Amino acid sequence: MKAEAGEIRAEGWTCASCGSPLELLPADIAYMGSSFQVELPRCRKCGFTLIPQDLAEGKMLEVEKLLEDK
Amino acid sequence: MEQKYLRDFEARCTQEEPPACRSMCPLHVEAREFACLMAVERLDEARKILERSMPLAGLAAFLCPGHCREHCRRSEVDAGVNLPMLERACLLYTRSTKPMPMPASGKTAAVAGGGFSSLCLAYELGKKGFRVNLYHQQDIAAAFAALPPRTFPERSLGEALEQLAALRVSFEQVKDFSPDRIASLRGEKILYLGLDDPDLDPAAFGLAGPGDPLTLESPVPGLFAGGAGLSFIQAAAAGKRAAGSIVRFLQGVAPSSAREGEDIYPTKLITDLSAVAPLPPPDPADPLVPTREEAKAEAARCIPCDCLLCVKKCAYLSHYESYPKRYGREFYNTLALKFGNRRSNIQIISCALCGLCGVVCPNGADMGSFCLEARREMAQSRHMPVSAHEFALEDMAYSNSAEVAFYRPQPGRKRCRTAFFPGCRLPSSLPEQTGRLYTFLTEHLDGGVGLFYRCCGAPARWSGRERLTAANAAGLREIWEEAGGPELILACPSCALFFASELADIPVKSLWEILPGLPLPKQARPLKQSLALHDPCAARARPDLIRAVRDLAGALGQETEELPLGRDLTRCCGYGGLASAVNPELGAEIALSRARDTDKDLLCWCIMCRDSLSAVGKGALHFLDLLFPAGDEARVRPAPGISLRQERALAFRREMLQNIWNEKPDEEGDLDPINIEMDAEVAERLERRRILLSDLKRVLLYAGEKGGQFYNPQTGRTLSSLRPKQVTFWVEYSPRADGVFVVHNAYCHRMLVPGTPGEGLPTAAVLEGFDPRGGRA
Ligand code: SF4
Ligand code: SF4
Ligand code: SF4
Ligand SMILES: [Zn+2]
Repeated sequence: MKAEAGEIRAEGWTCASCGSPLELLPADIAYMGSSFQVELPRCRKCGFTLIPQDLAEGKMLEVEKLLEDK
Repeated sequence: MEQKYLRDFEARCTQEEPPACRSMCPLHVEAREFACLMAVERLDEARKILERSMPLAGLAAFLCPGHCREHCRRSEVDAGVNLPMLERACLLYTRSTKPMPMPASGKTAAVAGGGFSSLCLAYELGKKGFRVNLYHQQDIAAAFAALPPRTFPERSLGEALEQLAALRVSFEQVKDFSPDRIASLRGEKILYLGLDDPDLDPAAFGLAGPGDPLTLESPVPGLFAGGAGLSFIQAAAAGKRAAGSIVRFLQGVAPSSAREGEDIYPTKLITDLSAVAPLPPPDPADPLVPTREEAKAEAARCIPCDCLLCVKKCAYLSHYESYPKRYGREFYNTLALKFGNRRSNIQIISCALCGLCGVVCPNGADMGSFCLEARREMAQSRHMPVSAHEFALEDMAYSNSAEVAFYRPQPGRKRCRTAFFPGCRLPSSLPEQTGRLYTFLTEHLDGGVGLFYRCCGAPARWSGRERLTAANAAGLREIWEEAGGPELILACPSCALFFASELADIPVKSLWEILPGLPLPKQARPLKQSLALHDPCAARARPDLIRAVRDLAGALGQETEELPLGRDLTRCCGYGGLASAVNPELGAEIALSRARDTDKDLLCWCIMCRDSLSAVGKGALHFLDLLFPAGDEARVRPAPGISLRQERALAFRREMLQNIWNEKPDEEGDLDPINIEMDAEVAERLERRRILLSDLKRVLLYAGEKGGQFYNPQTGRTLSSLRPKQVTFWVEYSPRADGVFVVHNAYCHRMLVPGTPGEGLPTAAVLEGFDPRGGRA
């Protein structure tokens, strides 16, 4: 799954635990035995990863379906 | 899937059979495609179609007497399509194209005789790279000149001879076929005797007569003969077949091998003529020179022949724009795939399994059975897309959980002769009326009536999961045995199908065969308006029930009318087979196409039908709305969403146990203290995404304890996620001072992302190659 930094919109959100702003950091995401590394808005300290709605229902859903039909 | 299973299915669907005009044409010209192109004035393309199967088309088509005409299916309505006229027109208004020979192959053939079969044979072999030497005694043009005037335009013969020359055919006019000449010809490796040339005598070549009528082989190897006593087009076909025999002979293959369909034959293609209106043929001023307009009008008379009987009646079949034979093949190919994209997966699991196609098809091709078989194999080989049925199966598990499902004998009895089995959906859609129906049954049936509430397990069967289906059936049987084996009264026709296939030894009756024998409930009242009776697809093969509900409507005094596709031909509401669960858009399409069958409101006797049709905006009632009216305007009562259904299922249990069995209400669940508020638009969005209130509550309960994950200082909102199962839910909310969570949005995904709390699956396990497909039945 490719996600260009510009597509992911997580403006305004901060880490609720430590208050840090989110940064685009590599994250390993996985489904159906396949895994990918993509840049996602994350808290560097706490490790939380934010998945915005348009990513969840757009690209991510697309890839999920693809992997399910493999 | 066994290949035989596919073959048997394919053999039933006739859609790929040629139309009669083609199967009965000696050259098997694709007349339907040709006529369709002529009807839209695409003459150049039409000519290409002709040239594809007709040797020397620029001449041959003028010589055709129209063998197909009497077989054209339109002749059963008025008069067969005049294909010779269309072919003339096509040739008159287009130009001939140069045939493209294959590179010279070094093979040669000798041809004796200048008849049309010889010319066509030379044409066919020339295209295949042969060098053909043709010997004739008469001048070829002179022989054609003996035909009635204007049979073909002057240029045609010249063009035909030019084409042959371009195909490296050489002509040699001989004085006669002397014994010397014959001896030298007989020395050729390949010789064809065109007996449609009167100068040729087979006896002089040592033959008793023509060769085999299909292959034109003579008893002498390499010697082929025929073509006499035929129409020009039959002679052309003979020449073409002889060319095929020669190619086989030189390849060392028996000329008779793989010749199926080369002779004329009656087609198996089914074509329904009931909607074909008469259309008088045009009357050309000069039949030998039809105008373009006359040709267009004649071409428009082609039906065109096609089966698609099932496709025209099923929104699923028409949605994918093809027909069962093709689908069967595609499904088979997907099932056979070892790697790569399984293209037909979603299509296989989107069929409603309603069985209409099998009834409509004169050969009984049932796409539904085929899809179910394919699903079983997908599940078995772990190729079922995991998310497709998950939601429906979780819903089923919920209905069968200890929180919801129950059996109770009628109060005051240990064992009951019968037990009412309303199915999972009736109580969760019409809880109060289902309760009244139960009481009514206990008042009118002897021997005690228990209440048995759970899902029969049909969703597991529809999803192709055989183990899960069997496990569910076993769970049901256990409770039934503990209850002393009462006869079950089934309200839902889909339950009835399920019992028949999975629990055939449990005695069952349909509610609908019992009700007409009982007095009407006191409150029962008909509507003033007439209603269209919608039969559920699960009852297609139950004429007894179909009759019984009509009796019941009659007893109620409810005026009803029949739908054009009703009874055994009824159409599905889109719920069947989990079609709408897997493919909501298509499910709605199926429901809409049913809804459009009438302007009237529908009277249903399956609650899923009622709710699915109502969900696409159709006025629809269930019989219980007439038998036990609730005082609302039932025809427009919104179909309950998923969360509401689950809530009502719980409430049904609570109320029934409390009111009828005097049991204390169940303990509150941990999620009950969470209070949520959201506006209708958000609620609707969640419904579409199949996010349950309980899913939201789980996220909020967790976030409440552990703190949310993300905070937006500008809006004051929190965003939190949790992965309670194989889905991660996100909720955007603001906690209010009074403890209520105001939910602004929620969404979900299935991919695993680091940092997501929940019991779903730890990231490490997934990265180590855990296959979630193995995790479920
Ligand atoms: S009804 Fe459908 S399955 Fe049957 S022959 Fe026609 S197209 Fe094929
Ligand atoms: S109606 Fe058309 S397709 Fe059917 S047999 Fe006649 S010409 Fe052929
Ligand atoms: S939805 Fe019904 S009619 Fe359509 S293909 Fe499936 S079983 Fe046949
Ligand atoms: Zn942090």
